[in-house]
Amino acid sequence: MLPIDAAAHSSRWRRRHPVDKAVLGLGLTVLAISLPPWPGAALVLVTALTVLLGPAGVPGRRLWRAYRVPLGFCVTGAATLLVQVGGPQGFVSLADDGPLRAGELLLRTSAASLGVLLFAFTTPMSDLLPRLVKAGVPAPVVDVALVTYRMSFLLLDSMRRVRDAQAARLGHTTRAATWRSLAGLGATAFVRSFDRATRLHAGLAGRGYDGTLRVLVPEAKVSVRFTAASCALLATLAALTLVMERALP
Amino acid sequence: MHITEGFLPPAHAVAWGVASAPFVVHGVRSLTREVREHPESTLLLGASGAFTFVLSALKLPSVTGSCSHPTGTGLGAILFRPPIMAVLGTITLLFQALLLAHGGLTTLGANAFSMAIVGPWAGYAIYRLLRRYDVPLMIAVFFGAFVADLSTYCVTSVQLALAFPDPSSGFMGALGKFGSIFAITQIPLAVSEGLLTVLVMRLLVQSSKGELTRLGVLLGRQGSRDETEAVAR
Repeated sequence: MLPIDAAAHSSRWRRRHPVDKAVLGLGLTVLAISLPPWPGAALVLVTALTVLLGPAGVPGRRLWRAYRVPLGFCVTGAATLLVQVGGPQGFVSLADDGPLRAGELLLRTSAASLGVLLFAFTTPMSDLLPRLVKAGVPAPVVDVALVTYRMSFLLLDSMRRVRDAQAARLGHTTRAATWRSLAGLGATAFVRSFDRATRLHAGLAGRGYDGTLRVLVPEAKVSVRFTAASCALLATLAALTLVMERALP
Repeated sequence: MHITEGFLPPAHAVAWGVASAPFVVHGVRSLTREVREHPESTLLLGASGAFTFVLSALKLPSVTGSCSHPTGTGLGAILFRPPIMAVLGTITLLFQALLLAHGGLTTLGANAFSMAIVGPWAGYAIYRLLRRYDVPLMIAVFFGAFVADLSTYCVTSVQLALAFPDPSSGFMGALGKFGSIFAITQIPLAVSEGLLTVLVMRLLVQSSKGELTRLGVLLGRQGSRDETEAVAR
């Protein structure tokens, strides 16, 4: 299981309905990209971080490991805003408002990422996918996504073992050997995925498979109190941003 | 490389979502029709999705010394066709956003447009064109994967340049900036992905003729090697 999903399965908010967590987490993301970066995204960032490490109980180390991935892209992308091409100062020169634009982008992206991470770290995919049918996603697409999700872990595990076996046979010692090993890994993934699908179909056919995958979904009700509190928090953040924007220079 | 969460302004995020929607809806219809006619396809399509997800997690050695991940869109489009890849690619991007923190939900439309739509269609078009002129299978596969990878990053550069035009030279200057940054790493990576895809396809032709025939990549009849490798669709 991947670290974020494993953390979601043992989260304090695991039993909460995904709608509760979507209103809060994705609401924070929407606020982060729609409010002015200063002070809006900064407020969202602090709030999301507080909720993640506080009430949601996400371990700081796990959060950092997941968070550094989008941060890397943010920094690389924002760095390009520091320079401008053409103009009187030469072919490539420092942009006048570059640091400001880069800073705003960093704030917005890092705050928005935390909102999604709040949702991801508290909502296992197995709770979310079956409920997408009620949201209007066609059942066959959800079924394919469910099989993809469950098979991905098996395949990733197989790939890890094959890679270890290749390494033990000195399969990664030279560049040529690495390429051969990689190609073998890709082909093995294909063969194993189709083999598993065939065997899964044979097993399901013996149990009366009619094309619909029925899975047990943990029962949970949408909490009116939690959702109302989340909406109130989001409204407060929006209002605070507008007030602070006028007050701050 | 996926555009990360919150990187695009709201109007751009919505616009790319709208641009992707018709292709994804078309793919969903194809997939739904396929599953209704052949219920057992659900498992094969799920396996294909898992294969795409795992393929994008492979670490590819880069010429610059670092390593990166293949997009997998070229091989996916050749094996499963672009409409199905639009759906499988979008599902993969959703999983990557929520399980790996790669990409994002507000940027899902933009990432789907580059990785699940333009990449597969461009790669598949080149592959089919070359096969029509009797270019050997492996050369067609190489260029299919190469073009799919490179077009994905070209579209990503355009998306970023539209969102962040250069203060002095506007869209074209920004396109030059983002394009040149990507070009340093992505042209070698596209070559690498093309080579890897050829190696994978060679192994698949040897070991999985049955599956490739079922997918329509190879003809099912016995005969010479050229006949076997002729593209059926």
